[in-house]
Amino acid sequence: MKRALSNPLALSGFIIISLIFLLALFAPLIAPFDPDAIDVKAILLEPSAAHLMGTDGLGRDVFSRMLYGARISLLVGLVAVGIATFIGIILGAISGYYRGWVDMVIMRTVDVMLSIPTFFLILAVIAFLTPSILNIMIVIGLTSWMGVTRLVRAEFLSLRNREFVMASETLGANDNRLIFKHLLPNSMTPIIVSSVLGVASAVLIESGLSFLGLGVQAPQASWGNILTDGKEYIQFAWWLSLFPGLAILITVLGYNLFGEGLRDVFDPRSSRNR
Amino acid sequence: MLNYLLKRLFWMIPLLIGISLVSFLIIHLAPGDITTTEAGFDPKASEESRQKLREIYHLDKPVIVQYGLWLERMVKLDFGTSFASHQRPVFLQTKDKDGNVTPGMIEEALPITLLINVLSLALILVIALPLGVISALTQNRAPDRAITLFVFIGFAIPGFWLALLLMYWTGVVHDWLPISGLHSQGADAMNWFAYTLDTLKHLTLPVLISGLSGLAGISLFVRNGMLDVLHQDYIVTARAKGLPENTVVYGHALRNALLPLITILGLSIPGLIGGSVIAESIFAIPGMGKLFYDAVLMRDFPVIMGILTIGSALTLLGNLLADVAYAWADPRVRRGVMQ
Repeated sequence: MKRALSNPLALSGFIIISLIFLLALFAPLIAPFDPDAIDVKAILLEPSAAHLMGTDGLGRDVFSRMLYGARISLLVGLVAVGIATFIGIILGAISGYYRGWVDMVIMRTVDVMLSIPTFFLILAVIAFLTPSILNIMIVIGLTSWMGVTRLVRAEFLSLRNREFVMASETLGANDNRLIFKHLLPNSMTPIIVSSVLGVASAVLIESGLSFLGLGVQAPQASWGNILTDGKEYIQFAWWLSLFPGLAILITVLGYNLFGEGLRDVFDPRSSRNR
Repeated sequence: MLNYLLKRLFWMIPLLIGISLVSFLIIHLAPGDITTTEAGFDPKASEESRQKLREIYHLDKPVIVQYGLWLERMVKLDFGTSFASHQRPVFLQTKDKDGNVTPGMIEEALPITLLINVLSLALILVIALPLGVISALTQNRAPDRAITLFVFIGFAIPGFWLALLLMYWTGVVHDWLPISGLHSQGADAMNWFAYTLDTLKHLTLPVLISGLSGLAGISLFVRNGMLDVLHQDYIVTARAKGLPENTVVYGHALRNALLPLITILGLSIPGLIGGSVIAESIFAIPGMGKLFYDAVLMRDFPVIMGILTIGSALTLLGNLLADVAYAWADPRVRRGVMQ
C-alpha cells in the first residue's frame, strides 16, 4: 500500500476517492438541508451562501442531494464491481485451472457476452425488471464480468507452468490448495487494478441509467437523476447540469488515476512510461 | 485467404447460438414468467401486454419448445409486431388489406445510427491518430502530458453531461447548432446541398458525443502502440542504416503500430452501438438507440428483442470485417502464424 501511494497518479486518485467517500459517509452531518425536503418558496434558486449549489425545480437543496447522491454512486460502483469480480474470479479460475472443454465453454460464453452491445443488454434486462438500486447493481455486475474472467484465466495459465506451482503440485498439493494458496494470491494484483478501473465504468453506467430514468428512481437522489432535471431546466438553471456532471467526472477520474497508478507500480512492463 | 474466411464464418455459428440463448434467458429472467412482471411505466397496458407476451413467446409450452420457437423467430427475423405502433420491429414489412406497406421500424432507424457511427469512427481516426503519434514522439514532455490529461478526462467525462453542456453552449447561449432532431422544419423543400448541410449540422453534436470515449481510448492505444514499435529491433536497424527520421517514424513504425488498431476498431463497435442510446435520446435523433430507449420505456418487448438481436448481429459483422481486414493487411495472421 505504501509503495502504491508513492506513485503520484495513484496518490492523487486515492485522495480524490477518499474525499468523496468521507463526504458520502458524513452526508447527514454535512448536508445543510434534508435532501428530499420540498420548498415551494425556493424553486430554482441560483447558487448562494444558503444554497451552495442552488435549488432544483421542487426547491430542494442541490448540495444536500449531491451528498446523498454520492452514497448511491459509490455503493452501486462497489457492489456491481464486487459481483463482476466474484463471477470473474470463479469462472476465470475454473477456466485457467481445468482447461479442456470447460475452458472452451466458458471462453465462448465470454465471446457471446462481448458481442452483445453492453448498454442494449443492460437496458433490455432492466425492461424486464423494475428499476431499483439493487437491480441495477446486479445487472451491471452480471454484464461486466468478462474482462476479469479473461484476466484471471490468463494469469492462471501462465502461473501453472511456473516452478513454485509445479513444485507444490509435485509435493502433493490438491486442487484447492493450489488454487487458493498459490494461483489466486499471485493473480491478485491485476485483479485489483482491473476492479478499480471497473468501478469507474460502473459509476458511469449507473449515472447514465439514472439520467435516462431507468436507474435510481426519484425522489431518491443520484447524480444521474439530478442531471435529468438539469436537462429539463437547461435554459434557466445551469447549476442543475453543471455540478452533478462535475461530480461524476471527478469520481471517475479518481478511480481511473488510482487504477492506472497501481498498474504502473505493480506492473512496470505495461507502464505508460516505458 | 478463402480458407481463413470460411473458418472465421464457421466460428460465428456458436456465437449466434449463444446470443439466442442469452436473449432467451433475458425473456425468462424476471421471477416466475415475464407476463407477471409489473409493467411499471404503463399499468393500463400491462394486462393486455401480458396476454400478448404469452402468445408471442409461447410461454405456456415446455421450455425446450419455447426455445425452439424463439430460435425460429430469430432466424426468420420475425419478432412479432410492436405493442405501441403495430409495426414490425425488423425488416419484414407488413401489408394491410388495401396493400399499403409499412416498413419495419429498424429499416428507418438503422441507416441513421450507422451514419452516426461511421462519422464517429472517422472523427476518432482523424483526431486520435495524430494525437497518439505526437504523444509517443514527445514521450513525457509537455505535449505528451497535455494529451494524456485530455485522454484521462475523455475517459472520465460522462457523455450525456458533455452533451448537456454543449447543448447549452451551442444551442441556448449561442444559436450555432440545432440541438434536437435530424432535420430542420421545412428541410424537405431544400435542395440536396442545403439538405445535406442541414443534416450534418444536426449530426455534429451527436457524432462528437458518441465518439468521445473512443477518441480517448484510441489516442492512448496509438501512443502505446507507437512506443512499443519504436523499441523494436527493426526500428533500431532502420535508424542505424541512416534512414531519415521521418521515414523511420511514418514509413516503418506507424504502419506497424496501426495494424492492431483494426482489431480495436472492430472491438469498439458494441460500445458505439450501445452508446447510441444516450446520444440519440438526448438529441432526439430517430435512430436505433432512440428506438430502443423508447421501447424500453414502454416495455415494447418485440422491439426490444428485435433490436437486441440486430445490434448483436451488427457487432459480429463488425468483428468479422475487422478480422478479415487484419488478415488482409497482415500475412502472418492469414497463414495462421499468429492467433
